[in-house]
Amino acid sequence: MQRISTAVRLNRSVMQFDDAAYVRLEKYLAESASLLEGDPDPQEILGDLEQAVADQCTRRLQPNQTVVTLAELEPALLEIGSVQVPGASPSAEPSTPSAPRPLQQISEAALISGVCAGLGRYFGFNVTALRVFAVLLLLLSGGGVILVYVTLMLLMPFAPLEAGSKPLRWLPGKCRTFMEYLRVKFHLATG
Amino acid sequence: MAAESKLAPIRKGLLEFLVLKTVGAKSMYVPDILRRLDGTEFSTQEGTLYPLLSKLRREDLVQYEWQESDAGPPRKYYRLTDSGRAQLTALDEYWNLINRTIAEIGH
Repeated sequence: MQRISTAVRLNRSVMQFDDAAYVRLEKYLAESASLLEGDPDPQEILGDLEQAVADQCTRRLQPNQTVVTLAELEPALLEIGSVQVPGASPSAEPSTPSAPRPLQQISEAALISGVCAGLGRYFGFNVTALRVFAVLLLLLSGGGVILVYVTLMLLMPFAPLEAGSKPLRWLPGKCRTFMEYLRVKFHLATG
Repeated sequence: MAAESKLAPIRKGLLEFLVLKTVGAKSMYVPDILRRLDGTEFSTQEGTLYPLLSKLRREDLVQYEWQESDAGPPRKYYRLTDSGRAQLTALDEYWNLINRTIAEIGH
């Protein structure tokens, strides 16, 4: 007596696989499952892939053939290809591009000290619009905004300088140096 | 080829756009989509397409319905949702903008 084939349910189809093909299919589906680790819907995708295997193998069976062998399965799997998770790439991209950004002064993007650039980034405002608004306030408030600006210069930590960026412009550089000097001198919190 | 390694990520990034466009033309099941893309730069495989469609469905950009087939089990026919249609329009416009920029820059 010899076992010839195994009945396999592939999603909505039931097919006969010989032992070698059955082992190969098991391996493919196990690999797919491990590639889909972390995907929220692995069951749905695995079900779709099972159906794809069934359809592909059915297409390849000879008219009087009922048992799937490696001769049908291998080209079928080759055509289906291994699972590619969308968005995943070897060079892992930042997983949370919209991660909350700290409220910091950004010297590289600064006109004066980087307060507006920092506020803009933190609140998602257009920096130019914010600066125009600040200048308007300056004119309307008769200078009170300057006090606000200087206070924020003292309170907002400086964002770390980007590696390899251009040297700071003169005023932002001076502001940064001077503020760091004040912070050390008066033991204020530093960024 | 050095250029190829730079082109591959572009194709990969655009595949989602192409799939939305393909399904946007009419509702299709996966072999239709594969056939439509076959022979283009975006030729792909079920192993890539099913995870991508699953993601697009979670993002409510596509949805599917079951349709009986003459041979074999029922098939999943994918089509765009309203928000998928809106996103496709936005992508189309952005793509045209990129194209114009690329054509104009350096002239």
